[in-house]
Amino acid sequence: MHLFRRATSRSGRRRRGDPIVNRWALLAAPPIAFLVAFFLVPLIVVSLRSVTDVPRPTDDLLANYGRFFASAANLRVLGNTFWVAALSTVVCLALGYPYAYLMNIVRPRVAGLLLIAVLLPFWSSLLVRTYAWQVILRDTGIINTFLLDGRVIEEPIPLIRTTLGVMLGMSQILLPFMVLPIYAVMRRIDPEYSRAAANLGAPPFAAFRRVFLPLSLPGVLAGSLLVFVLALGFYITPALLGSPKDTMISQFIASAVQQRLDWGIGSTMAVILMGLTLAVLFIASRLIRLRDVFGSLEES
Amino acid sequence: MTSWRRLFPLVAAGALLVTACGGGASPPPSAAAPESAAPASVEPSAPPAADICTNPPKAEGQTLTFASYGGAYQEAQRKGWLEPYSALTGVTFQESEDSANATIKAQVEAGQVTWDIVDVGNDFGLEAHADILEPLDYTKIPKDEILDGFAGAYRVADITYGVVLGYNTEKMAGQVPQGWADFFDTTKFPGKRGFWDYSTGGIFEFALLADGVAPADLYPLDLVRAAAKLDTIKDDIVFWGSGAESQDLIGKGEVAMTMIWNGRAYSAKHIDNNPVEIQWNQQIVTSDYFVVPKGTPNKDVAMDFIGWASCKENNAAPSKYIPYGPTNKLATADPSKVAELSVSNINDTTAYFDDTWIVDNAQLIEDAYQEWKTR
Repeated sequence: MHLFRRATSRSGRRRRGDPIVNRWALLAAPPIAFLVAFFLVPLIVVSLRSVTDVPRPTDDLLANYGRFFASAANLRVLGNTFWVAALSTVVCLALGYPYAYLMNIVRPRVAGLLLIAVLLPFWSSLLVRTYAWQVILRDTGIINTFLLDGRVIEEPIPLIRTTLGVMLGMSQILLPFMVLPIYAVMRRIDPEYSRAAANLGAPPFAAFRRVFLPLSLPGVLAGSLLVFVLALGFYITPALLGSPKDTMISQFIASAVQQRLDWGIGSTMAVILMGLTLAVLFIASRLIRLRDVFGSLEES
Repeated sequence: MTSWRRLFPLVAAGALLVTACGGGASPPPSAAAPESAAPASVEPSAPPAADICTNPPKAEGQTLTFASYGGAYQEAQRKGWLEPYSALTGVTFQESEDSANATIKAQVEAGQVTWDIVDVGNDFGLEAHADILEPLDYTKIPKDEILDGFAGAYRVADITYGVVLGYNTEKMAGQVPQGWADFFDTTKFPGKRGFWDYSTGGIFEFALLADGVAPADLYPLDLVRAAAKLDTIKDDIVFWGSGAESQDLIGKGEVAMTMIWNGRAYSAKHIDNNPVEIQWNQQIVTSDYFVVPKGTPNKDVAMDFIGWASCKENNAAPSKYIPYGPTNKLATADPSKVAELSVSNINDTTAYFDDTWIVDNAQLIEDAYQEWKTR
């Protein structure tokens, strides 16, 4: 999204207070109405529900929150959720940064191909891809069958139902959200800077570390935030590829809503997850200027 | 920051709008007290049940929405019940294949009930759900003929099935597991074990049976003892989320043994042609149930259908297509499937769910399950 905004604002015609801009802003009314009706309203309903839909005998508004924090399993799974999200972010960054760098230095045609390759995961459903990982990773799956038949191993190696399995599945899905923002920022870095650094005697790695890397950091932060926040809500992938130790809070929410019909505690978990996510964004906004990350060109 | 500030009035206006609309749109769902459960409120003009069985009331132009669990199961219900009933009465059926207790609750709370007859599992349809279900009309349903304990105020069983131990014969090295004690013996029977990832689906019951608890003494469940038993094979457990998954896991040998619904084990063997067998010892015999969501405009026609499908003449019809048995004591299952039915394999090791205890203690069971599982 931000890419597109950058693309239009790069043309340099956006000036605040310009009446033409305001009239164009009306175009945003339908999406805003949509967001209000289908996102904000449910959000408010869910938030209200977490305090009103409490177990019968009590009228304590915070009863659900008390129930949530009283359970060790809830806290453990909440911790897991943030751990798995952080781990996926690190994995995506480790894979995504070099990839974006590569896209940035190759010829445009090759860069286009690389772009298509990274966008490919968007073209098939998350569920299908996760089941595909199951077929590949499980004990009777492609990798283990191949290795067993080749007498490379005696026993199937544990790939599925491990954190490794979750990371494979999640990073494949999330990688584009890391690569695209980084690539967008890298493209705006003037190659002359690196050349100037080299001219002034910096070895290639020093030029990269002291010139290119700092300039690409806004992309790194944008990608990391996107991936982290998206990863927090993952549900199907850890359920199908992970072990119980990789259980994430969304699985608990689903179980509360679908199995126990306890929508009060389900809403409470959702609100807690949302609150903690906002807290992460808030802390991030203290450490870095989010504006630089998500809309750096608005000011320029 | 500026863009946020600019957006704020809009957001605030939206929020106001929301609260304004929200106030009128959703009346308190459970304001009406649950109708004093009197299913047998006698209507003098009600037709005798026998009439419904052979000549159900015509309902030309009426549409009933039937929600069940899809797949081969719903197809059997369609061929056994829906299609014949349409032919007899003129009722048109619409179908949903995603029966879920949460959907019933959502429809009733929103006042938009579109499901008329829902096939639900054994953990639903009890007193705890009285405010979202219609009491059944037992002037139309032959209650005396239904298996004892399987006809309640808000639900009547439509098929019986077994939660059983399924095993892959190629992983058994020629041995035959005799029950859940063998399931938990990974030394004698190496390999992974499958369990449904559902706290009230039977996992605790089977752990206790394996630990030597008699079927009659299962309830109240000793959750601590069950969790301790489950710990002994925890690293070998593969959790499955759907019947199709269990069928696949055991069929391919990804697990050597699994908890499985007998119809799925049947499909693994006879449809997928995989080396799967059932150990009927220590099975849990249970049921799916018909319920009618509260407030459906087609309540009467729905009751007619449920009455008709519960009759001895019609109740066993799905068993022609799937090995799930009748719930009417006088109904005769299809001869080709009799041997494969849960109810045909009852012996003194057979166990039954205590649905009332399970529903009343659902929170306790779920907490113990998650505590054990994520530990």
